[in-house]
Amino acid sequence: MKTSFLLFLTCVFFLASCTNFNRVQSASDTIAVTDFRGKEVKIIKPAERVICLIESALSGIYMLYQQNRVVGVPSAIYGENLYQYYSRLDTRVLNRALPSPGNWDFVSIEQVVGLKPDLVIIWSSQTDAIESLEQFNIPVYAVMLNSFSDIYKEIEDLGILLDCSDRSDSLVALSKGNMETIHKNNENIKSAYFMWSQGITETSGKNSTVNELLKAAGVINACNLFDEHVSVSVEKIYDWDPDMIIMWYNEKLDPVDVLNDPLLQGLRAVKEGKVYELPEVFACDFWTLKMQYPVQLISKWAYDSNLDTNMQKQLVNKMYKQLYGIELIN
Amino acid sequence: MNTKALRYIAIIAPIPVIMVSLLLGASEDITIEKVFSFLFFGDLTDSELIKTILFHIRLPRVLLVFLTGGILAVSGSAMQAIFRNPLVDPYILGLSSGAAFGAALALYVAVLPIQLSAFVFGLLAVGLSYVMARKNNQVSVVSLILAGIITNGIFTALLTIVQIVSDPFKLQSIVHWIMGSFHTASWYELQLVILPAFAGLLVIFILRWKLNVLALGDEEALSAGVNPGRIKISILIATTMASSAVIAVSGIIGLYGLIVPHIVRMIFGVNNKVTMLMNLLLGGTFLVIIDDISRSFSGFEIPIGVFTMLICAPFFIWLLKKTNTGWQ
Repeated sequence: MKTSFLLFLTCVFFLASCTNFNRVQSASDTIAVTDFRGKEVKIIKPAERVICLIESALSGIYMLYQQNRVVGVPSAIYGENLYQYYSRLDTRVLNRALPSPGNWDFVSIEQVVGLKPDLVIIWSSQTDAIESLEQFNIPVYAVMLNSFSDIYKEIEDLGILLDCSDRSDSLVALSKGNMETIHKNNENIKSAYFMWSQGITETSGKNSTVNELLKAAGVINACNLFDEHVSVSVEKIYDWDPDMIIMWYNEKLDPVDVLNDPLLQGLRAVKEGKVYELPEVFACDFWTLKMQYPVQLISKWAYDSNLDTNMQKQLVNKMYKQLYGIELIN
Repeated sequence: MNTKALRYIAIIAPIPVIMVSLLLGASEDITIEKVFSFLFFGDLTDSELIKTILFHIRLPRVLLVFLTGGILAVSGSAMQAIFRNPLVDPYILGLSSGAAFGAALALYVAVLPIQLSAFVFGLLAVGLSYVMARKNNQVSVVSLILAGIITNGIFTALLTIVQIVSDPFKLQSIVHWIMGSFHTASWYELQLVILPAFAGLLVIFILRWKLNVLALGDEEALSAGVNPGRIKISILIATTMASSAVIAVSGIIGLYGLIVPHIVRMIFGVNNKVTMLMNLLLGGTFLVIIDDISRSFSGFEIPIGVFTMLICAPFFIWLLKKTNTGWQ
């Protein structure tokens, strides 16, 4: 028995010592960008096999018309809400032929390595996965988006890495131009409370992309806390008493549910019926250049009551045409 | 089948299971046929990729899983023996909640390495339990278990605070860590684990026969020339060190250290001289099989902690009903 144990011990020690025998020295690099970790990502030539595990960044790649370089996508795009759009953008998605080796939470290192990528795009918070991938000398572009300028930087970096800077520069210029044309009211500025899909008490504070979204729409974030995502009490919402409530797309609740919630009847926004829901996640994804659409909606809800469904449809179709080159809704 | 034959099967089983596990994986291009051709017929198509996947992704993962399973089972068995309580597992003294808090804290502040933080806080939690239970230089089993429950409560509360203040990305990472996973297993992680794990295992293995004497009771053990206090402390330190090391890289794998020792006891009896090695081998082998399922079940990985419960619990109940051995 003792011999078996010692034999086992020796085997494991031996195998554990068999490390680092497959490292490849990288050749001279020609393309370099600094990712959101502050780390320089270097590649020899424009990436030809890209695995993008962030849906918003993938959206950016499709806006850059570089979908042919994509060999792996986040599994989220095969979900019901996103599949209807990506299946129109890419026949490989339509046929479910593009591998999905991970998502924003889990990554199958083996699947990623098996796809032989020359660039992996991943959230910078996935530190374990990044460490594992970099062990295999796979260039990793890590992303963390905290503001609209981060979104512009991401598109510009992707333009460099995928050799399409002309397109990325024109997209950024177009988006900035569109944002500037959005009506800003300098008098009687309204306040808005942003409600995440988890419920009325989930919101975002001043240090958040939501805050920037509201600011761009010409309204003030009613939540004066600083957190990116924060749970607050209903009493606190009464303290802020916003002029309007903006709901993130919610499968379970509609504005009418909020308007009829007995807990919220004393709020000015509820009394005046100023509760609005962003219509869909894909179109209103404000971690992409599509941020202009929710900004336009919020601005119009705040200062221009004439916004019917047809106008919304026109707005979104125009945006899709500009960004993706096609109309994504019928 | 007699126990001797089963013992030989348990000794041999890890080898074929590990070999088969090396053939299984998520990559669509690296099929079993390709791996076979590469290993046995020298087919060099995609050889670099196959080598990388086999020897740098699958092999360290399978070995790490095996080691984790073995250590959790051995530690659980040793803890059940020193506490003379069948409901004890390696987490009883707050190890899991301490390690979970350590990992969550590291994910939140992003300064400490996750594994190191989980290891340190796991040890700290067990140390706290021990200090709380110690009175007049004596540590009774009951007060130690109670102190463990209190420590679990404290660290669970602290973990909740970290979860509340974390953003959704970090929160998701914390939840996944707590559920247990080997998806980023590497040689580096195996190297981190191997020294504390084997030091702990060695102590338990050397002292395993004394656990049989402890089963008679403290007074009887004393009269047999065994100092029960010293043995218990040594085993406690060894199991904590080994379990902390593996939990730090794997996350929490719930109830595994409770169920496997029972299964081993039902099959091989209660002699710790035999069951320790059986726990190591069967614990490791079972967890490798479970991990194979968790990484091959669907396109994405399902945390292994989910499968240990779903697979081990019914198997355990079946064995419990079929046999009358164990603690009865």
